Amino acid sequence: MLRKVFLIIIVLCICLVVVAGCRKDQGQQSRSDNVVHTALPSKIAGLDPANMRDVYSAMVAGNIFEPLYQYHYLKRPYEVIPLIAESMPIISDDGLTYTIKIKHDVLFHDDKCFPQGKGRQLIAEDFIYAFKRLANIKNLSQNWSMFDNKIEGLDEFREYTKTCKTEDEVDYSRDVQGLKAVDNYTLIIKLKRRWPQFIYILTDPSTTAMAKEAVDMYGKDIVAHPIGTGPFKLKTWHRGSYIELVRNPKFRGEPYPTEGELGDKEAGYLDDAGKTMPFVDGITWSIIQEEQPLWLLFMNGQIDVKTIPKDNFGEAINANMQLTDKMKTLNMQLEKFSEPSFYFLGFNMEDKLLGNNKPLRRAISYAFDRDRFIELFSNGRYVLADGIIPPMMASYNPQIKMKGYSIYDPEKAKNLIKEAEVINKGKLSLLKVGIPGTDTLSRQMGQFIKKCLNDVGLEVEMLYMDWPTYLEKLNSKSLQMFVSGWVATVPDARDFLENFYSPNWKAGSKSFNYYNPQVDKLFEQVEVMDDSPQRRELYRQMEIMVMDDCPAALINHRVSYVLKHDWYKNYKSHVFQYGLAKYRRLDLQERAEYKKLLKKVK
Amino acid sequence: MTAYIIRRLIYTVPIVAGVLLLTFVLFSMVGGDISLEIAGKNANQETINEIRHEYGLDKPLFFSWDSQFVNHFKSAMTFDFGRARDREPVIDKIKRGIAPSLSIAVPMFLGVVFISISLALLVAFVRGSAWDTVTVFICVAGMSIPYLSFILFGQYFFAYKWSFFPIYFTPGLKMYQYATLPVLIGIVTGLGSDLRFYRTVMLDEMKNDYVRTAFAKGLSTRKVLFKHVLKNAMIPIITTVVLAIPYLFLGSLLLERFFGIPGLGYLMIEAIGSRDYFIINAMTYISAILFVLFNLITDICYALVDPRVSLD
Repeated sequence: MLRKVFLIIIVLCICLVVVAGCRKDQGQQSRSDNVVHTALPSKIAGLDPANMRDVYSAMVAGNIFEPLYQYHYLKRPYEVIPLIAESMPIISDDGLTYTIKIKHDVLFHDDKCFPQGKGRQLIAEDFIYAFKRLANIKNLSQNWSMFDNKIEGLDEFREYTKTCKTEDEVDYSRDVQGLKAVDNYTLIIKLKRRWPQFIYILTDPSTTAMAKEAVDMYGKDIVAHPIGTGPFKLKTWHRGSYIELVRNPKFRGEPYPTEGELGDKEAGYLDDAGKTMPFVDGITWSIIQEEQPLWLLFMNGQIDVKTIPKDNFGEAINANMQLTDKMKTLNMQLEKFSEPSFYFLGFNMEDKLLGNNKPLRRAISYAFDRDRFIELFSNGRYVLADGIIPPMMASYNPQIKMKGYSIYDPEKAKNLIKEAEVINKGKLSLLKVGIPGTDTLSRQMGQFIKKCLNDVGLEVEMLYMDWPTYLEKLNSKSLQMFVSGWVATVPDARDFLENFYSPNWKAGSKSFNYYNPQVDKLFEQVEVMDDSPQRRELYRQMEIMVMDDCPAALINHRVSYVLKHDWYKNYKSHVFQYGLAKYRRLDLQERAEYKKLLKKVK
Repeated sequence: MTAYIIRRLIYTVPIVAGVLLLTFVLFSMVGGDISLEIAGKNANQETINEIRHEYGLDKPLFFSWDSQFVNHFKSAMTFDFGRARDREPVIDKIKRGIAPSLSIAVPMFLGVVFISISLALLVAFVRGSAWDTVTVFICVAGMSIPYLSFILFGQYFFAYKWSFFPIYFTPGLKMYQYATLPVLIGIVTGLGSDLRFYRTVMLDEMKNDYVRTAFAKGLSTRKVLFKHVLKNAMIPIITTVVLAIPYLFLGSLLLERFFGIPGLGYLMIEAIGSRDYFIINAMTYISAILFVLFNLITDICYALVDPRVSLD
């Protein structure tokens, strides 16, 4: 009898597995749609342009909302071109007044917030309203820093909002001197002082127009009701797990670029030149935080594109840093992509020990084995940072490597420590390094840094902390050393050098507390200059001045290795990944045939 | 019994207050200032101040009618947990997560309980036989292998390699499609420890005189096992089973995360990752309430199944 019972239980278990397994392959079924499938490693914070600072929200929202300008998809260095604007702005001789003509055929998405549910025409006032919302302190916008002390009258408007008790009390009809709509299609913006980088700000998804009707109707829930003018609109947002956008049937259409940079034609990036975008009917993002399911979905053809996870690097990339045979069999394609970023071990220049002891700072820099670090923590993908400005920026200084700021030389470090001890009038005390993270990877990185510094005779304690504690300690200047990084938000070296401009000491990563009046003076001179060879040279001078003072031991610039399926067309790496879904095209035939290929390798 | 229940319900008041105090101290005082994190990297001090004002962080901690603790207490009592950091009401998130969570947790829980108790009875009956040895060996092996390994291997082989199940949740999937593999993995991982525990409980019962008497009377094996032994082994079973129910509310953290099931476990782990105290606080509070409630239910069940236990 017992045997029978055991057998019944086993048979039941098998039946359960078989019945559940008898399903249509959902992934493959949905592949028949002309929809891009991709993933995000983290949930998005919300889809309200006025309060959207995380990159993933901007990646999604960039397909729903449209700013006045955008970066050319194919040309490098990045070139700003009109999007909602009819043409490039007319800038007054003093560089303070921007007159922007707006396209006439731009419609908001259909939504119940509009009369009869029909999206109305976008007008200049919608931008003024959006900028005021950004300034409204009750809106708690994380994006205010973009406009802080930049536009005539906008700071006064922000001051006024402080007197209001709630967000609803704010009177948006209140005049702001620097924001005028001459007519429905002409926007005039007056700046307080010259600011050539302003045009980059106007490409940011945070500076898109907002329909007041939508904000009035949805209130705080506007984060989940994005009413834009873009090629896609929100269909589904399962917070924290899934986002789906569908084509906006009323989108005016936009031609695919007809010119790019050298090699783009051969690479197939101009195959769709002049054709009307968007090409796909929708785009989905699954929020997947674990690498295994994400990798398996990609390998299964259910995700179209993804970066290569550290643990699967060997499966995808061979010793020559090219695709493995397995990936070639699957017709995968590899894109290498230099990010405009730099990562560093920062020094608090107001710290008594470090701030007054340049040999000690240099010793720490020489003690850091960057090549080994890059090999261990990025499979050798990242590029050693010789300077602050990354190689892909126009202002990059190819000669900076000769300066040897980032070489690994433990003997030199030991000699410098002796000098440092003389300056310190005695043995150096314990050094403390703040690491923003308590996870395994952060601890591994911390151990590595500790070992490098221990090897040259420095005593170090690693302080692993959560993000708010880390920020708090940075802001209170209580961290002696800290590990951090910076990623450019605009294609201008100013974004990097700003970290070392002393009036910008404030919350966040700008916490070197570095002060050099010559650097400040040069920064103020360069900041108001238009892009030119002269300005680039001044950027390079400033970079060397900062590096000579050694407020940080630079570590690396990040390089992403992106794998994509061959059916995923028109994918060219782009730093500013906002609103790029419109360029994508899918070869559904190739996608359908992938299953056969996959069977070979499974 | 009514008096006992009322007395126990009154006891829950200081327990709940204690939980509220503890969560408040942990999140408000030990956890650091969340306004900095909400403000983001580029915020200036005035924005940080405004955030502190918006979230009531500029109010006194304890000693005022409008203090942070009193407001924390009020929100818990009214189940109005405010809005999460993405501005969605916390209670909406919890409501939405309950169904997917329970679709995994309940079958897993029932499966583990049913299979482990049934098998425990059987292997206890054939103790010392090859079946018993093999079962104990499998249990120990199952307990020794990390939970995560079952998930990784299950997902790789059953979902990717052999395509029996979907790899990850997508909204178009039916519940039985996305839930089956996580449930099976959950059952397999849960069986080892539970089966061993119940086997020990059953073995203790098997040694008793009444079992021998029952067999001597000529009762069938099925009757002895399921009517007499099982009934007498109910106290430890109830303790384990009923007290496990509140944890179902928390969902299956790892399973939901690896299979993308948008349940409460996923919500909780994500809230921890993004330091969304509003969600963590609400989930902790609700879990505590459920735990206290099910403790009471456990005690009542003792009285129902065992006449030796009197609640008065």
